[in-house]
Amino acid sequence: MIAALGLALGIVAGLFLEPTVPVWLQPYLPIAVVAALDAVFGGLRALLDGIFDDRVFVVSFVANVLVAALIVYLGDQLGVGSQLSTGVVVVLGIRIFSNAASIRRHLLSA
Amino acid sequence: MAYRGEDELSGLGRRRLVAALRPRARRAQVVAAVLLGLLGFAAAVQVRATRDAELDGLRQTDLVRILDDVSERAARLQAEARELQQTRDQVAGGSNGNLVALEEARDRARVLGILAGTLPAVGPGIELTISDPAGAVGADVLLDALQELRDAGAEVIELSTVDGPAVRVVTSTALVDVEGGIEVDGEVLVSPYRFRVIGEPRTLAAALDIPGGVIDVLRQREAQGLVTQRSSVRISSLRVPPSPRYARPAPDTGGASNETDETDGDR
Repeated sequence: MIAALGLALGIVAGLFLEPTVPVWLQPYLPIAVVAALDAVFGGLRALLDGIFDDRVFVVSFVANVLVAALIVYLGDQLGVGSQLSTGVVVVLGIRIFSNAASIRRHLLSA
Repeated sequence: MAYRGEDELSGLGRRRLVAALRPRARRAQVVAAVLLGLLGFAAAVQVRATRDAELDGLRQTDLVRILDDVSERAARLQAEARELQQTRDQVAGGSNGNLVALEEARDRARVLGILAGTLPAVGPGIELTISDPAGAVGADVLLDALQELRDAGAEVIELSTVDGPAVRVVTSTALVDVEGGIEVDGEVLVSPYRFRVIGEPRTLAAALDIPGGVIDVLRQREAQGLVTQRSSVRISSLRVPPSPRYARPAPDTGGASNETDETDGDR
C-alpha cells in the first residue's frame, strides 16, 4: 500500500514540478525507466512468490538502472547507441512480459 | 518451484498481495515506496520531456539528418521565394515594360515604313531634273542614275514628271521603256523627269557628277541634267505594299535584337 502510494506520489510530483531533464541524463533516463520497471515487475513477482526481499529489490532496482545506463553509454561511445538502446528495451520488455505472465498466473490463475 | 494446483497457487498469491497491501511501515514497504516513487517521478518527467521537446532526446545522427532536411527545405523555399519575387517584379514592371516595347515597335514600324515607301519622309537631299527634248533618255539611263544614287547612300527616292505624277522608288520598282516615256511601277512618266532624293546632299551630287557618270551620259545624249542640293526635301508620294501571297512571317526564333540587326544591314 505504501509502495503504491509512493508510485502515485512520484508520478504526481513529476507531473507538477515540471523539472527539466539535465542534458547529460537525457539519453539514459528512458532506458533507466524501463529497467526500473523491469525491477518493479520482478519485485512484484517475488512478492507473490513469497520470496520478496527488500534488500534484493533495492539491489536489483539500482543495478538494473545502472547497467542499462552503462549499456547505453557504451553504445553511444561505440556508435551503436540507438541499436543497443533498442536491444536493451527489447530484452527488458521480454523480461517484463514474462514477469507479468507469472504475476497473472498468481492473481488470475490463468 | 514445486508444482501446485492453480487454485491453490492463485489463492496464495492473492493472500500475499493483500498482506503486502496492508499499510505497515515496515522497512521493505518504505524502501519499495521510495524506489517506486523514484520510478514514477522519472517516468513522468521522461514522458513530459518526450512530449515537450522532440529534439532533446535525439541522437547526433538523427539531429544531423533533421538539420539536413531543414536546410534543404529552407533552400527550396528560398528558391521559390526568389522565383515569386521575380514574377512579382515582372508583373509590377509589366506596364512600364509594355510601354517601352510598344514604343520600340512603333519606332521600328516608322523606319520600315520609310524603307518600304509607305510613310512620307523628309530630310536633306537633292533634286535631279532631267530634261530630254530629243527623247534619247531611256529607262537604262534612269536606272543607272537610280543605282548611282543608291550607291551614294540615298535613303528615299521619288521619281516623277516635273509637276506631274510621282512614284516612290522602292526595292521592287521596275523601269520600262514605253512609247513617249517610261513606265515606272505602272505609272507612265514623261520628260522632264525629276528625281527627288533624301540622303547626304554633297555625296549624292558628287556621285552624279563623276566623269562618265549620269550627268556625262545625259550630256552625250543631248539631254540636260540639273542637280540641286536642298537642305530639306519632303517626299510625300506613297506606295501601297503588296500583301505577300506565299510568304508568311517566320516564327520568332532570334528575338527582337536580331531583327533590328538585319534591318540595319539592309539599310
